Amino acid sequence: MTPLLEAKGVSKFFGEFCALREVSVAVAANEFVSIVGPNGAGKTTLVNLLTGLLLPSSGQVFFKGQTISGVGPIALAKRGMARTFQLVQIFPQLTVAETIAAAVISEEGKQWRLLHALALDAAVTRRVEEVAAIFGLSDRLQHAARALSQGEKKLLDVASAFALRPEVILLDEPTSGVSTSEKHALMRTLVGAAKAAGVKSVILVEHDMDLVAAYSERIVALAEGKVLADLPPGPFFADPHIVATVVGKRSASHAQHQGS
Amino acid sequence: MSAFANVVFGGVFHAAVLFLVAAGLQLVFGVQKIVNLACGSFYALGAYFGISLVNAALKGGMPPLLLLPVLIAAGVLMAIVGPPIERLLRTVYGRDESLQLLLTFALVLMFQDVLRFIWGPNPQSLGNEVLAYGKLSAGDFTVPVYNLLVIAAALAAACLIGFFLRRTTYGRLLRATAENRSMAEALGVNVRTVYAVVFSLGTLLGTLGGALVVPTSAASLDMAIEFVIEAFAVVVIGGLGSMAGALVGALLVGLIRAFSLVVYPEFEILAIYLIVIATLLIRPSGLFGRAVS
Amino acid sequence: MSEAPLRLLLVALGIAALALVPTLAPPFYANLLIPFFAYSVALIGFNLLFGYTGLLSFGHAMYLGLGAYAAAVVAGVLGIRVFEVVLLAAALAAVVVALPIGFLCVRYTGIFFGMLTLAFGMLAHSFLFKFYHLTGGDSGMRIPRMRILGLEFDAYNKIELLAGPFYYYCLGLMVLAGLLMWRIVHSPFGLQVRALRDNPQKAEYLGVRVRQLRLLAYVISAVYGAIGGAILGFRIGLADPELVHWTHSGHLVFMTVLGGFSSFFGPVVGALTLTLLQDQLQSITQYWRFVLGAILAAIVIFFPRGLAGLAIDTAGRLARRKPSQVAA
Repeated sequence: MTPLLEAKGVSKFFGEFCALREVSVAVAANEFVSIVGPNGAGKTTLVNLLTGLLLPSSGQVFFKGQTISGVGPIALAKRGMARTFQLVQIFPQLTVAETIAAAVISEEGKQWRLLHALALDAAVTRRVEEVAAIFGLSDRLQHAARALSQGEKKLLDVASAFALRPEVILLDEPTSGVSTSEKHALMRTLVGAAKAAGVKSVILVEHDMDLVAAYSERIVALAEGKVLADLPPGPFFADPHIVATVVGKRSASHAQHQGS
Repeated sequence: MSAFANVVFGGVFHAAVLFLVAAGLQLVFGVQKIVNLACGSFYALGAYFGISLVNAALKGGMPPLLLLPVLIAAGVLMAIVGPPIERLLRTVYGRDESLQLLLTFALVLMFQDVLRFIWGPNPQSLGNEVLAYGKLSAGDFTVPVYNLLVIAAALAAACLIGFFLRRTTYGRLLRATAENRSMAEALGVNVRTVYAVVFSLGTLLGTLGGALVVPTSAASLDMAIEFVIEAFAVVVIGGLGSMAGALVGALLVGLIRAFSLVVYPEFEILAIYLIVIATLLIRPSGLFGRAVS
Repeated sequence: MSEAPLRLLLVALGIAALALVPTLAPPFYANLLIPFFAYSVALIGFNLLFGYTGLLSFGHAMYLGLGAYAAAVVAGVLGIRVFEVVLLAAALAAVVVALPIGFLCVRYTGIFFGMLTLAFGMLAHSFLFKFYHLTGGDSGMRIPRMRILGLEFDAYNKIELLAGPFYYYCLGLMVLAGLLMWRIVHSPFGLQVRALRDNPQKAEYLGVRVRQLRLLAYVISAVYGAIGGAILGFRIGLADPELVHWTHSGHLVFMTVLGGFSSFFGPVVGALTLTLLQDQLQSITQYWRFVLGAILAAIVIFFPRGLAGLAIDTAGRLARRKPSQVAA
């Protein structure tokens, strides 16, 4: 089956520095793939390449069979891929409903309707309520985004991305800054939302190996700009070398117990 | 050939004065990130006061040769408006940049009437005292010695500023604050004082520029409004926040104006705007500025 | 919500009050309010760009000048003394000019956008000034009297025309312009524009076509500016380069901030306040600029949300509710 999103032999140089070397990663439909690796391994670069933000120095990135090298966020959204960032991004002066609506408007192509009354658009309102419900934000709809708690802001950030009806969503460290006890709850919401929103594939960039082990169907580990491993969780955590490189020696045995 | 040299020196003289004001703008923008629309008003203030001081000194029996020092004194004296204005601007530090810009615009409006109140609506100029400095001639080409002195003064100022910023501790402190205010604060820099000093210095350069220009141009209320644009052209072309940019930018603008006046008068100031627009579009960071995201 | 009907009532009262001015007050006041109508229209458009899209243009007066000069060319040079044609010409001219200039400018935000627009504005100014064979230089170009709604109003002299039929015409124009902008601001376009103001990067990731929407906002504001300029031109009877000077752009910003740029009605309030205030001040002192500057400084320092913002906040506090955080 042709992969939905694929990086074929991509390399990326920043001047003299090689961030990625001949990396090939493929994500098929209905897959949940995690990208892990120590800091500086090239995760961010790979993610930026996969989401068309950067042009690879060599190699190509394909989404649904078409090349997306360097297309930029707007085209990306249009083609059916959404992405969130580690740092929560909100529209300070908009409400929760308006934030989600902004995405819905893009998805429904209504941005040129200058004389159309948004408040009276039942389709948009319905979709906004739908998305908010999936993320548990229904009773926050009329609140200003900046008045939300940090956790709610994160949910809103992701919710607005989901409102685009993406086929692939890339979550960049979605649980960073969230307390350990809430991490799993958040992940459950995100995975459930992905299913409810009709997302086909999820790519997760994470440091927390517990989450990675619990949700991934496949784990891609990067180290020093190269793919170290591309395995399902079982074999992944069974390999001490991989675990040590990715997680660090001290937690190696801990993760090993978790993953098998 | 001599006509050419005349034009060049005219342009360089204008550039010298422009440099002073632009350097003031660069200092303030570089360190405080404030775009000071009132720089033209400082320029006009220096000009008007320069004339008043010279006239008063002449009545007191000053020999014409002391013209330059008296004008320099006038410029320096008027820098006294710097600290209170900085105190006013302090109320909007850290707020939206449009609000800061608007406050400086409010100052422009107020200054217009302050100047009008003190000196009246008519343009004022000095007499022929400047002739006491004589002219330098080489064949057909002549240049007033005064102009050469001002050019020298501007160059001296440029060197002084450069030395100050690069070689002295305080100068380095300024550059650090310009680079990263919170970091500088964390390292113990009293940013409030730095801002006050920088703004006063910027004001001084502006009033000095105005004072030095009066032997050759009249002081008028329009000055404050028109000069702002040229100063900004210099700052954009040279690069926001860069002293070298102020120098090169001023030279470019001064020379282009001088040559346009001769070649195609209609184009005179139009040429400057076209270059500003081109710079902003092609290389927004200007010649020497840091790259813009 | 009790907010909307109250707002509607206030607006209706305002329009009614304005409609009564020619009958209740001497013609001087109606005449004085014509520039208010002109600026209202221009600022309603300007605030789409500033308050809603977050772009501060310091060269917007260029479009007012464009409107006035369009009037001079169409009615004066070409002899088509029909105001509706002039309005159309002004709008078209604004689109033609704003598209390329806007295209170049919206690649930037903040200070660079401000400087670019300032530069373009002054470029226009120097063009109008220097090429006096074409544009009349600093003498400007005459704008003759025009027919409005096809009627000549021969019996009225200029003052009577301005304080009578033309007054109502402009009031109607302003209301129409306001209604149109209200729709625009409450449309999907309006929402996305506010989103991109708040966080352009996030907006892009939500599929918002940031640059294109900014350009559209710029062009719309230019059209409004030109219409305002045409009204000004009709009243003054002259199109002159000073309309386009950067200080005139500064006044536009002044009025907007005075009224409050985060409110829909702020600009109109600002235009009215400044028009009346300036007139009163000018009769009291020749140093009215100083007073205006001081007022602007006070607004910026103490009431950055402007008069409308102040009113909204006060009303909110009176009703024991939190101040409104969303643009009206």
